Amino acid sequence: MQGGSTGVGYGLKYQARCISDVKADTDHTSFLTGTLSLKEENEVHLIRLSSGGTELICEGLFSHPNEIWDLASCPFDQRIFSTVFSSGESYGAAIWQIPELYGQLNSPQLERIASLDAHSSKIKCVLWWPTGRHDKLVSIDEQNLFLWSIDTSKKTAQVQSQQSAGMLHYLSGGAWDAHDVNAVALTCESSVQLWDLRTMKTTNSIQHAHVRNVDYDTKKKYMLVTAEDESGIHIWDLRKPKFPVSELPGHSHWTWTVKCNPEYEGLILSAGTDSAVNLWLVPPTSDDSALDSLVESPTRRVEPLLHSYTDYEDSVYDLAWSSREPWIFASLSYDGRVVVESIKPHLPKK
Amino acid sequence: MEVEEGVQIDDKAKRMRDMLSSFYSSDPSSNASSLQNYTSSSSRFATLDTINTTSFDANMYMNLLVQKSNLENLLQKHVEMAAEIKNLDTDLQMLVYENYNKFISATDTIKRMKNNIVGMEANMEQLLEKIMSVQSKSDGVNTSLFEKREHIEKLHRTRNLLRKVQFIYDLPTRLENCIKSEAYADAIKFYTGAMPIFKAYGESSFQDCKRASEEAVAVIIKKLQGKVFSDSESIQARAEAVMLLKQLDFPVINLKVKLFEKLDQFLVNLDLESVELTNASVDDNELPKGGTVLDSASSAAHEASIREFVEAVRAYRVIFLDSEQQLLKLAQDFVTKHFEATRQQIKKQFRSVELLAILRVIWSDVLLISEVLPEADLPDYALQAARIVVKDYIDSTFKHLLLDISDALTKAQVRQKEGVEGEYSLQVALEASRKAVIQGSMDVLLNFRQLLDENSDLLLKLRDSIIDWVQEGFQNFFRTLDDHFLLLSGKSNSASQNLNIPEGISVLTGLVLVLAQLSLFIEQSAIPRITEEIASSFSGGGTRGYEYGPAFVPAEICRTFRSAGEKFLDLYIKMRTQKISVVLRKRFTAPNWVKHKEPREVHMFVDLLLRELEAIGTEVKQILPQGLHHKHRRTESNGSTTSSRSNPLRDDRISRSNTQKARSQLLETHLAKLFKQKMEIFTKVEHTQGSVLTTIVKLSLKNLQEFVRLQTFNRSGFQQIQLDIQFLKTTLKEIAEDEAAVDFLLDEVIVATAERCLDPIPLEPPILDKLVQAKLAKNSEQISVS
Repeated sequence: MQGGSTGVGYGLKYQARCISDVKADTDHTSFLTGTLSLKEENEVHLIRLSSGGTELICEGLFSHPNEIWDLASCPFDQRIFSTVFSSGESYGAAIWQIPELYGQLNSPQLERIASLDAHSSKIKCVLWWPTGRHDKLVSIDEQNLFLWSIDTSKKTAQVQSQQSAGMLHYLSGGAWDAHDVNAVALTCESSVQLWDLRTMKTTNSIQHAHVRNVDYDTKKKYMLVTAEDESGIHIWDLRKPKFPVSELPGHSHWTWTVKCNPEYEGLILSAGTDSAVNLWLVPPTSDDSALDSLVESPTRRVEPLLHSYTDYEDSVYDLAWSSREPWIFASLSYDGRVVVESIKPHLPKK
Repeated sequence: MEVEEGVQIDDKAKRMRDMLSSFYSSDPSSNASSLQNYTSSSSRFATLDTINTTSFDANMYMNLLVQKSNLENLLQKHVEMAAEIKNLDTDLQMLVYENYNKFISATDTIKRMKNNIVGMEANMEQLLEKIMSVQSKSDGVNTSLFEKREHIEKLHRTRNLLRKVQFIYDLPTRLENCIKSEAYADAIKFYTGAMPIFKAYGESSFQDCKRASEEAVAVIIKKLQGKVFSDSESIQARAEAVMLLKQLDFPVINLKVKLFEKLDQFLVNLDLESVELTNASVDDNELPKGGTVLDSASSAAHEASIREFVEAVRAYRVIFLDSEQQLLKLAQDFVTKHFEATRQQIKKQFRSVELLAILRVIWSDVLLISEVLPEADLPDYALQAARIVVKDYIDSTFKHLLLDISDALTKAQVRQKEGVEGEYSLQVALEASRKAVIQGSMDVLLNFRQLLDENSDLLLKLRDSIIDWVQEGFQNFFRTLDDHFLLLSGKSNSASQNLNIPEGISVLTGLVLVLAQLSLFIEQSAIPRITEEIASSFSGGGTRGYEYGPAFVPAEICRTFRSAGEKFLDLYIKMRTQKISVVLRKRFTAPNWVKHKEPREVHMFVDLLLRELEAIGTEVKQILPQGLHHKHRRTESNGSTTSSRSNPLRDDRISRSNTQKARSQLLETHLAKLFKQKMEIFTKVEHTQGSVLTTIVKLSLKNLQEFVRLQTFNRSGFQQIQLDIQFLKTTLKEIAEDEAAVDFLLDEVIVATAERCLDPIPLEPPILDKLVQAKLAKNSEQISVS
């Protein structure tokens, strides 16, 4: 496939798995990323794309006590983010605040606002509601779903409700519906469970095994995109959870993560362990004819793969669209390399 | 002067005319008024012509004359006038005389008439008298003769009546005589003659007579009916009989209906026969030797009966003149029934030879019938029906072909499920389905060729359509075959629609592999052969508009199946890898790696992994070709050089003392990566044993690496992985082709484990060796035991 190093690169010192768009920062396109090192001192990097878009600048470097398995930036306060970390057998999750005067300090310390320490098994991820200010937070461990009520000014976090997904379902991650503040999708070994946070109960589920990552379509309600180990990417209509609306071939090895573009409908970015990032365009289908057209003409469909970025040395585990400049995304490969690319040349002509 | 003279002559005639007209004219005033205008207007330009008008002014005339004429002219005029006056006088005299004469003769005539009329009245009186006497005399004669004439007339009437009575008394015997001599026409004439009498007096005087003759007539009717129904009688005779019956007021309609029913019955029998015929020919398949004889015999019988039917129809038509509609319907029914039976036959699988036989029979029948009933337009009707039947036949043939192929495939699936893999291997399944495809298609084509080769009128007319249908049929067939394959493989998205395959039956990997190879086979050899065959014998057609292009597009089908082949191979690999992935997932998620115990032996997941690979190997070896360059690869591929470079580096590193920092390790890895080319792990899969197996091994190892990366290990955990990988290194070499890539991936796993290890101290090589050897020994022992 095509390669070419069109992107802007930035190297972390250690291996890393997670990167997040700083959504609340409306003045700059910036990303947060954390390293994953078992033995060294881990770091959180705040990086910013220069105004020309040609350079990635490290805006802040903060030490983090443990290796970071998950990192999410607060959508309404650019200085707040959450991490999930572990060291050997121990694990934890916390909400951090970037100190205000970090420019002047030599070794600025992150301020821990709250610890999400009610978990009893391995924590998988922490979710913020992606659309705006919301005083709730969701955290997921292998068996439980927690709903936290947080107050960033008082620096408190309390468990509001908790529900076990059952011993047999090993939860692995999830996503929060941008259209519905009460809907969360959780991935577990054999299915995707759709939860209602008011009742803390499963409302529906998609029986589909080995879902690795899930994302709600931010533009279109009821649309869910899943990534699986072997079988690529599936797009689901939550009103018809029996069969996928559409299917993309995915990667030549596992498809690790999928992210829907926050602005352009049908644009999906996926990253995989075959050291590639693929940009897909799912042709918009009207709700009714979606199934029919699929059955009728599997051959006539246009090639959905717009571009494949293959200039990576290792598996790519995380991606982030910039919400400020939605044609820009950051990708992070395991070797700690952040690459920011613009998809402008691949956007469909309008 | 001469002109003048001419004028004068004209004037004279005019004057005469005017004089006469004024004499006879009843209304001189109108004339006068018009002339008045004329004179008053022309008084100034008065001419000499005014002399003839009523408004003639003598003075003016004189003046004008004197003014205009010279002396000579005047003199001449004078002479002329005098002559004219003289002439006029004589004319007048003549007229008066003639009138007088006429008066005299009229008076004479009147006098004579008066004399003749006298005496006429007396003559008339005389005449009247004589006529009166004649009348009285004739009256006398009349009255004297009246009585006798009356008597004579009476006698005459009685005689007639007696004669009639005699006739009626004689009627029964006469009728009987007629019956004896079979002069039915006469008998009926007599009987109808006697009918009015019977009607009038039948109840009283002639009761016996009536009964006797009615009996006789009944006999006649019976005889006639018999005659109508008997086929041996000539048509003429039968027609006559019907006419006679009609005269007898016999309900002919009933007769007609009965006869028609008979025809109908005839047809039903015929149909049964034809069904029997086809059955017979179906049976013939099993006894091909006696078949043809039997066939021809039965077809001869069939033809005979059809001829008979045709005769009957002809007779019927002659007998009942207004019966065409019914007969038309009957004939069409006949054809429809025939084709219906044929269609029933088509539902079972049968060959075009039989179809042809049946069509031939039908066509000859149709021709025969249409001779008798040209109005029925049977050939056209039959053509329409045949068109449908042939199309049905072609469709059903393709359907059967599809069934055959899927049978061949599913048989493999079922057998495989029963666990008789050894006996009914994938190889056999593939061979069977290959054969089903190629042989089936060839058979189908052969069958259709026979349809085309047939010279019968019916099929010649359908020729173009058949060609199109066959081409279209193949196109559709392959399309559905592709769909069907997808369905079988369980890859079809619209799983809700697949009713053929019960839910819950997981698709067997072997089947997917067979499908992959079959698709390849179809693309590479079946399609070209079929295309060739079609081009050689099914070209033409063209009833389909040109804008649609040819119905059969081999390139499109090839493309479909090429992609299908790749898809199935991918699917196979995916399914297999998924299975392995499950093993690996269990292995890595179950234990607590941070508290792992010291390794004692190679972990059993390696056995599972190897067993899976072995299973794949046996499947793959049965079907896929070996692949030519599989030995080359190891020396030629660029991967091998890099691995030979990186290998010592890593081994070196791993065996280094435990004081080594992970940090520098990482750096080293990066450095190593910098210096070597990127390893192409995910190459395109080919349809060869090695390629498929290697791909699966590579994918599994990559999976292993990714699983490792998600864990955190203690020293013992790391050592366990190291041991397992070391063991795999020796065993995988025998399985996978691309040694370089496999080595690279195995190293990657160890590196990943080291990275995720809290205390990465590797096992000492001797211990490692010892454990690996122990495992190998154990394995070979197991093999020898089993």
